Amino acid sequence: MNCLDYRRALLAGTGEADAMRVHRLQCAGCTAEWQEHAAFEGALRQALEVPVPEGFAERMTTVPVARRRRFLAAAATTLVAVGAGSYAWLARQDPLALACIDFVMKEEAKSIMMGAMPRAEARVALAGTLPVEVLEGVGQVRHISPCPFNGATAYHVVLAVPQGKVTLLVMPSAPMRGVRHADKEGMHAAVVATKNGSVGIVGADAAVVMSVAGAFQAYAATRSA
Amino acid sequence: MGFEDLVRTHARDLYRYAYWLARDRQQAEDVVQEALLRGWRAFPRLRERAAAKSWLFSIVRREYLRALGSAAPQTESLDTMDLPDERQELFGVEMRDALMALPASYAEPLALQLLGGFSCAEIATMIGTTEGATMTRLTRARQALKRLVAPRERAGGRT
Ligand SMILES: [Zn+2]
Repeated sequence: MNCLDYRRALLAGTGEADAMRVHRLQCAGCTAEWQEHAAFEGALRQALEVPVPEGFAERMTTVPVARRRRFLAAAATTLVAVGAGSYAWLARQDPLALACIDFVMKEEAKSIMMGAMPRAEARVALAGTLPVEVLEGVGQVRHISPCPFNGATAYHVVLAVPQGKVTLLVMPSAPMRGVRHADKEGMHAAVVATKNGSVGIVGADAAVVMSVAGAFQAYAATRSA
Repeated sequence: MGFEDLVRTHARDLYRYAYWLARDRQQAEDVVQEALLRGWRAFPRLRERAAAKSWLFSIVRREYLRALGSAAPQTESLDTMDLPDERQELFGVEMRDALMALPASYAEPLALQLLGGFSCAEIATMIGTTEGATMTRLTRARQALKRLVAPRERAGGRT
């Protein structure tokens, strides 16, 4: 290491390696250069740190929600375009998914009539499984209430998405893997994993059910990292 | 770390990086927002979660280039290698103005090095060049900045 090497390395900004430090400690010229350079680097860093708009980071985590919703709408349209034939695999009937359909056909009206839980309470209850913010990113939350389902307490959610309505059964105590499907009397259901649990999605349109399921899976994937 | 946490951690530096590419506040914000929307869709497929930070900076870069209307990884606007002419009577300027006078091809590696904390090898991969060429750019960028911010007499200018 000589003075030229030392000054080159400073200019490249790669940090002071051990060999450089050894040289600096015995070279007055490079010590002076090093001190001047430190002030320059500080000013440079400050100059690069241009002011960031107020609340930018928060906006970047929440604002794209509207755009995500539009993306989901587009995804659903694509799925419809693929055609009903692609849903032949839906014919595989999963008992839990079937139970979700039964709930919508037999219990949903009663659950809605019994009234929704306070939204603040719902936020706390769902935070660990499928946060209300995530639901709001996918559609408009019309109803949330706790209900007995599949031997445990689930949360019944009515979600209005751009293409119609879906019913969700959020099951905090029922973790699972993969995707389960059922198809019965014109209703489609999918059950997918979410954070620490699972969620059943029921609707009249398989494409809509699948796009909502896809959104929750994407959320679960970002959370499991 | 999930996508939202990643964004919350790096959003500010991603904005600054986009700003030094675009030199425009509104465009910087648009580029980051668009990039993060694409990132949100692609994140579940990202294999190397450890490389998530450089991936985020890379998608901002790609989005900026895309917004420029170019699908090519290298565009003319990031390829300009002309540094401010020494004969130009620019000296004693504030550091930020000096940075503004640098072409993006020089300001970009500086932003990646100091805002992103990336090594020369990482920067080289991100901007599609060699490690040696990256070090040259970083060196020349600092030389130009030192010249630009130097007070008048040291720059050898007129009195
Ligand atoms: Zn020396």
